[in-house]
Amino acid sequence: MWRTLGLALLRLAGIMLLAGLLGGTLIRVAPGFAADERQLDSNLSSQSIQAVRQARLSDSNIPRFYAGYLASLVRGDLGTSQMLNQPIRDLLRERLPITLRNLALAVLLAWVMGLALAAATQLTGSRLLTSTAEGLSGTFISTPAAVLALVFVLLRLPPELAAALLVFPKIYRYCHNLLRQGYDRPHVLTALAKGAGRWRVLVWHVAPVSLPQMLALLGVSISLAIGVLLPIEAICDVSGIGQLAWQAATGRDLPLLVNLTLVVTFLTASATMFSDLARKTMTRSEV
Amino acid sequence: MKTARIMAAIVLVLAGAAALGAHYLAPAGYEQQFRMSPDAPPSTQHLLGTDDLGRDRMARLLYGTRVSLFLAPIAAGIATILAAFFGGMAGYFGGWVERCALLFVDLFLSIPWLFLLITVRAVLPLNISPQNSVIITFLLLGFLGWAASARVICAGTKELMKSEFVWLARASGFSGFKLIRLHLMPNLRGTLLAQFWISVPVFIITEANLGALGLGVTEPLPSLGSLLGELQSVIVLRPHPWQFLPLVILIVVVSCFQTLLNSSEVRT
Amino acid sequence: MKRLLWISVLLFLAVPLFAQSGGELRFSIYSEPKTFHPLRTEEISSDTIRYLTSGVLLRLDRITQKAEPELATSWKVLDGGKRIRFTLRQGVHFSDGTPFSAADVAYTVQQLMDPDLHSTTGDAFRSGSGKVVTRVVSPGEIEIIFAAPVAGLAELFDTVAMLSAQSPQKEMAVAGPFYVAEHRAGSYILLKKNPYYWKKDSAGRQLPYLDSIRLDIQQNDEIQALRYSRGEIHLINRVAPGIFDKLAAQGTAVQDVGVSTDTEFLWFNQVANAPIADYKRAWFASANFRRAVSEAINRDDLARVAFHQHASPAVGIVSPVNRFWFNSKLVRHPYDPASALRRLQQDGFHLDNGVLRDKTGHEVEFAITARAGDEARQQMAAMIQQDLKKIGVKVNIAPVEMSALIERITTSFNYEACLAGHTRVTLDPNAQMNIWLSSADTHQWNPAQKSPATPWEAEIDKLMRAQASSSDERERKKYWDRVQEIAWEQEPFIYLVNKHTLVAIAPSIKNAQPSTLYPQAFWNVEHLSLNH
Repeated sequence: MWRTLGLALLRLAGIMLLAGLLGGTLIRVAPGFAADERQLDSNLSSQSIQAVRQARLSDSNIPRFYAGYLASLVRGDLGTSQMLNQPIRDLLRERLPITLRNLALAVLLAWVMGLALAAATQLTGSRLLTSTAEGLSGTFISTPAAVLALVFVLLRLPPELAAALLVFPKIYRYCHNLLRQGYDRPHVLTALAKGAGRWRVLVWHVAPVSLPQMLALLGVSISLAIGVLLPIEAICDVSGIGQLAWQAATGRDLPLLVNLTLVVTFLTASATMFSDLARKTMTRSEV
Repeated sequence: MKTARIMAAIVLVLAGAAALGAHYLAPAGYEQQFRMSPDAPPSTQHLLGTDDLGRDRMARLLYGTRVSLFLAPIAAGIATILAAFFGGMAGYFGGWVERCALLFVDLFLSIPWLFLLITVRAVLPLNISPQNSVIITFLLLGFLGWAASARVICAGTKELMKSEFVWLARASGFSGFKLIRLHLMPNLRGTLLAQFWISVPVFIITEANLGALGLGVTEPLPSLGSLLGELQSVIVLRPHPWQFLPLVILIVVVSCFQTLLNSSEVRT
Repeated sequence: MKRLLWISVLLFLAVPLFAQSGGELRFSIYSEPKTFHPLRTEEISSDTIRYLTSGVLLRLDRITQKAEPELATSWKVLDGGKRIRFTLRQGVHFSDGTPFSAADVAYTVQQLMDPDLHSTTGDAFRSGSGKVVTRVVSPGEIEIIFAAPVAGLAELFDTVAMLSAQSPQKEMAVAGPFYVAEHRAGSYILLKKNPYYWKKDSAGRQLPYLDSIRLDIQQNDEIQALRYSRGEIHLINRVAPGIFDKLAAQGTAVQDVGVSTDTEFLWFNQVANAPIADYKRAWFASANFRRAVSEAINRDDLARVAFHQHASPAVGIVSPVNRFWFNSKLVRHPYDPASALRRLQQDGFHLDNGVLRDKTGHEVEFAITARAGDEARQQMAAMIQQDLKKIGVKVNIAPVEMSALIERITTSFNYEACLAGHTRVTLDPNAQMNIWLSSADTHQWNPAQKSPATPWEAEIDKLMRAQASSSDERERKKYWDRVQEIAWEQEPFIYLVNKHTLVAIAPSIKNAQPSTLYPQAFWNVEHLSLNH
């Protein structure tokens, strides 16, 4: 077990290092890296504009920047935001807990709604329930995140609920299809034919078959939720990292973007790592 | 359910026909600006009113539906095929192939692709036509939108590889592509269809969001996503009911897709 | 008659009595301020905080457009703008109690002229190479001597925040009506009343009337409007035209103050080594071509449709609201597609089945680049596209993300035409030196020229330098009028509209006098009060 955990942590560290480097490279090669709005300010002299441009180019050598960043990271220094002139460690310390809380709530609510609806439609076989569930999931998956976020601001509802409503259709769709596939299995058909109760069939025969994919989906749902939550935070002006991420992207704030990439990679990779471990443990114990 | 599927098919055919026949149904066209009546309510001349520049909303809805409903499923198909390829390959071979593939998938999920998209826009010629711009955008979405599902498919493939019928198939001499095609993919249909169904509306909406990077559809061509994006500026302050029609159309189309893609229900 | 006079005097004196003191003013800023250092402000958010907290030697009255005494009771410009002498107000303190004196002015000037500062405030004073020297004439008088004359010298001090040379709080000690009391990153900034603020109203009551100001960070215009209509914030300093109409329809208090100095314009890439086709470069270099495009654009429609009637067709460089510096002899370019086609024919263009072609047979087609996500500019571009279609010109609209756009128009020059605007344009023409000098980096259509590429640019260079070195306003106006005429004839910038100033000020705010100049709704913040 310790060996497995150690290898998993090593893998996580490796992914984070690679993601940071690749992300930094993408940011560097994308046009506009050295651009600053002050270059358009006609009140600035030529020397000032050149100085602004040179300052932006100071981190242009990505390998050197990244090596320096990693050396600082070991000392606990995450660098300074070019845009906000504040230590990134302080920025993340203030904002990350808010986003993590919203993320956890959004994922939990999305799974509760998605899985409950998927299971209910299979258990009851009710066409009305199925139509309602499909209608709801169709509605929310077709609604732009920005529009739903604005509606939630209008109705003074919590933004994490908006994120949950946007993620749950995906959870519902996958779970519904997986459970139905499970019901198509020969041994399940046999159990139903022999009069086994629907709850019993779901819990003891269908769920175990669908579990590995659902666990994989659980890991991936973190990434889906992050993708939805960050723009919602930006629109609803929640002081999480969503607001920060958008400003950092438009301002090409390299140190902040690299840190945010590492945070997202950590959350995504550790979620998938956890789901892989859970899947391996559960499928091994079944055998 | 059979009735439902027939109804869904009819609705999709009607929507497709209306979109293809936009030129006849809305002869004003999507770009003509009736500047004396911007943001007008519905009337006999403009059945759904006009937008901020006085363009006929009905025409823009029909042409926008054509653009999105043609391109989004193609992009969704590409994403599904890529997810099936990477996830299937990882689950089939296992071992170091699986580890490398999943590492690649996790990296793919974490990298800020926003900057790749900005780079793509920079590489494209400035005078690219709106049609080509939106085609390239949807293709990009297809090539970038597969990673989340690949893991789910990998997990499913691994489970299938342990199942008795696959053991039997392998013992009978099936392997490689034939095994994947005849035994694995059909049993992953549910996951693949889920991926496809989710991708269609997500790509339609994402195409509009990419407008902030200069990708996606450009003026004067509309897309369903760009029409949905207009809702952002009206939803908070006195929206008009007809401004929600693009959202209603998308919900209806997505629901019809969902109904058609569902396999037959088990009834006991 | 005497009784009427007494009543008027009493009423005038009574106004401050009715202005109830206390309360917290709330409004929004678009982003986290990048700095709280008043001399290093780069963007609107930090500039807003600078305006609300800083003490300045003189302040431009945003209604009369005249300079009024603040920390200086009087000033004199000497040697044609090379020297300025201030007589300082006595008994003034910074927000931490530190006394204000000539030493603080000297310290501020020293900080301002630091070559590593790179701020718009500092650069505005850099008239030539050489040091800027301060001389304390007496405890209440200080003289600042520049290396070369600075045009419009006195008014420049409107943006120079006085720093304390002694305070341990450094730049956070301020002499303005408020000071920064609290800052929650990503959420809000709280400013509190400066207990040491020197200003009193005509009744002798301590200003400001307000206890505090809360600035919420709010990026989204629609949410800002929603909060205003709910009464959660008291004002919106700049309302988008579409939102303005919706708020007005709801009966919420909004105001179109009138034409501002903000302009929207289009220009063509005239950079010699730009990566564009030679035949296109030839089109863009032709004044006839530019004038034809200008005449083919319906500015009335732009103002009416894209700006919901909250803009006015532009005449030229200067907005008519800039009463002194506007060249009133100029009239707006007409909307005349037929005339546009005749001009193009002079350059060898011809219509071929509704498609305009140049003399070598190339179809006239170009891309207008504009900032992606800017709804008003995308709408303007779409309208210009339709207007130019009528004379056979094919326009493609290429929205580009902001940083990538900046790179295109300042570094790679990989663009054909660009739609942009000038905002917070100051009144004095000297502020536009770096636009009109051909050697300047922000001479947008062809920046950083080693020598002027055209005779008219050479003439503009001479005129701009002449107005910068003169202290006679009438003489400067003559030069600036001629620059406006040349720009009108040559149209390197095709000026489209002057936007109106649109503000939302809640009825509970008293003494508001919105102006077309920044900061529109709260320029007289120390006199604002809340009706409880």
